[in-house]
Amino acid sequence: MSNGVNGKEPHMVIENIDLAFGGTKAITDISFTVYKGEICAVIGPNGAGKSSMLNVINGVYIPQQGSITFEGKKFAKMKPHSAATMGIGRTFQNIALFSGMSVVENIMTGRNLMMKSTFIENALGIGRSKKEEILHREACEEIIEFLGLQSIRKTPVSSLSYGLQKRVELGRALAAEPKMLLLDEPIAGMNIEEKLDMACFIQEINRNRGTTIVLIEHDMGVVMDVSDHVVVMDYGAKIGDGTPEEVMSNQKVIDAYLGVSHDD
Amino acid sequence: MYYRETGQTVKNYTEDRRMVPLREDRWIMWAFLAVLFIGVPMFANDYVLSAIFIPMMVLGIAALGLNIAVGYTGQLSLGTAGFMCFGAFTAFNLLFRVEWMNVWLAFLMSGVVAGLVGIIFGLPSLRIKGFYLLVSTLCAQFFAEWFFNAYPWFLNNSTSGVAALPPFHYRFLPYQEQIFDLFGWDKDYNAYIWRYFIALITTVLLALACKNMVRSSTGRNWMAVRDMDIAANVIGISVGKTKINAFFVSCFYCGIAGAMYSYCYIGNLDFMIFNLRRSFLIMFMVILGGLGSILGSFLGAIFVYGWPILLTRTADAVFGGGTLDTAFIENNSKIIVGTFIVVLLIYQPMGFAGLWNSVKHKLRIWPFKT
Repeated sequence: MSNGVNGKEPHMVIENIDLAFGGTKAITDISFTVYKGEICAVIGPNGAGKSSMLNVINGVYIPQQGSITFEGKKFAKMKPHSAATMGIGRTFQNIALFSGMSVVENIMTGRNLMMKSTFIENALGIGRSKKEEILHREACEEIIEFLGLQSIRKTPVSSLSYGLQKRVELGRALAAEPKMLLLDEPIAGMNIEEKLDMACFIQEINRNRGTTIVLIEHDMGVVMDVSDHVVVMDYGAKIGDGTPEEVMSNQKVIDAYLGVSHDD
Repeated sequence: MYYRETGQTVKNYTEDRRMVPLREDRWIMWAFLAVLFIGVPMFANDYVLSAIFIPMMVLGIAALGLNIAVGYTGQLSLGTAGFMCFGAFTAFNLLFRVEWMNVWLAFLMSGVVAGLVGIIFGLPSLRIKGFYLLVSTLCAQFFAEWFFNAYPWFLNNSTSGVAALPPFHYRFLPYQEQIFDLFGWDKDYNAYIWRYFIALITTVLLALACKNMVRSSTGRNWMAVRDMDIAANVIGISVGKTKINAFFVSCFYCGIAGAMYSYCYIGNLDFMIFNLRRSFLIMFMVILGGLGSILGSFLGAIFVYGWPILLTRTADAVFGGGTLDTAFIENNSKIIVGTFIVVLLIYQPMGFAGLWNSVKHKLRIWPFKT
């Protein structure tokens, strides 16, 4: 584990983000900082605006106000494409795999951003086409091995179980070699074994590759175990920010999220 | 069991991304190509070439082109025949007006022109999806028909609306005249045997190029946009560029198919045949053959084009030519085709490609059942 919130370089600074859909305010004036190399968990009850927050970070939603500073560069709005080129990877809450492709094709698609060969080179099989394909396949195979997907690499993703699909989606995000990974409920709906596997993968990615991770999760046990930094949201506003211990003892958080205590 | 996969291992990624991974399939493919390149020209007569092989290849390429847009990228299009029309007219005008032009370059250019037209009519795809896009591509269809009707210069001001394609258009070999003299062949360059070879070589090259694209980043981009465009965008694929690219490639194929339709199949140029009905037929070929399948495009073309012919010929053979009204046979064959399509799509939504895959799967595990 890294040494928490203090004494670290900020990787991404989110300032005063406001997001509304028509008259409905999804996010109100949220600011927080994600530090380099940490695992930052965003928690909060359903409808608190967590997924919207991730969508703002990688440009799927455009906020009405506020700014995002990623690696020192300040943006009023992000575009999904430029977020990807800058090194922000992402998985989705509802699996968003390319259902018509196999596992290895899905993961290779994650690296398409790095492939420079044009469609003419690809069509004729000349120039960079073949070399790139082999080179990136090697990189993808490393990910497949890391995630233990060897036996199903040629299987169409639509025939895989939910847990495996989530794993493939993580692989696809990882294939782009992101500097920051946004994971939207990576372990929701899994059985205990799959959960533990996934938690291990997330920690290993964080430690071995130094990838900064922002994750949304409902499983408090996992959140408190893996994360260095927790941001709590409720009704679109931030109500807590700090280390897991700090957040757990924050009265507002206890009231809003973990429930008001009745014991005295 | 018929496929013995045991012992066929891949040792590196080059072997793993082979076009045809199984040895048995490779044998079948080489045998098939040998039949097409050697067997058919040796034994087939003009009727078989002109009414069976050439149209099936031409329509197969058109279906493949449409399949790139519809099956691989998920962009519905009904302008196929319109794009074919642009291709056919480009080839005609180049071969008719440019002295040094040859068939291959003219076909390539007809693809490029149709592709550029396709980009223009594909631009709405950046904003609209599905059925609405269908309507906007329909414009391409009507635009082509209107355009070549309004500007007869492109048809060499032919009053009949049809332009003939004389033998001197068919310049497909370097030193063609000398070579024909050398072998003592008749100089009817537009004989069906030459048209067959032109169509066959074009078809094989285009099918190979398509296979190459779909197993590389280009094809993965297309399929990513088809399956989940938001996720594609988030992993850094430019959805707009990919759609435009797919429209270009799709219409490139359709344009060449149009040029082949004129030059290889019917042997004249006529914008009336590139009508909406043709677009629909090609759409049926794609749906029946299997969306997102190269083999399926050709199977669909073979079926949609060949099945009615087979039925009429069978009926003629069984009932004797002339005893039954031809209109009666034709209408009945339409009913049979229609019923067959409905039944097939209920049991095998992935069309002939899906059917072929399940047959292959059964062959692999025979004598076991599942």
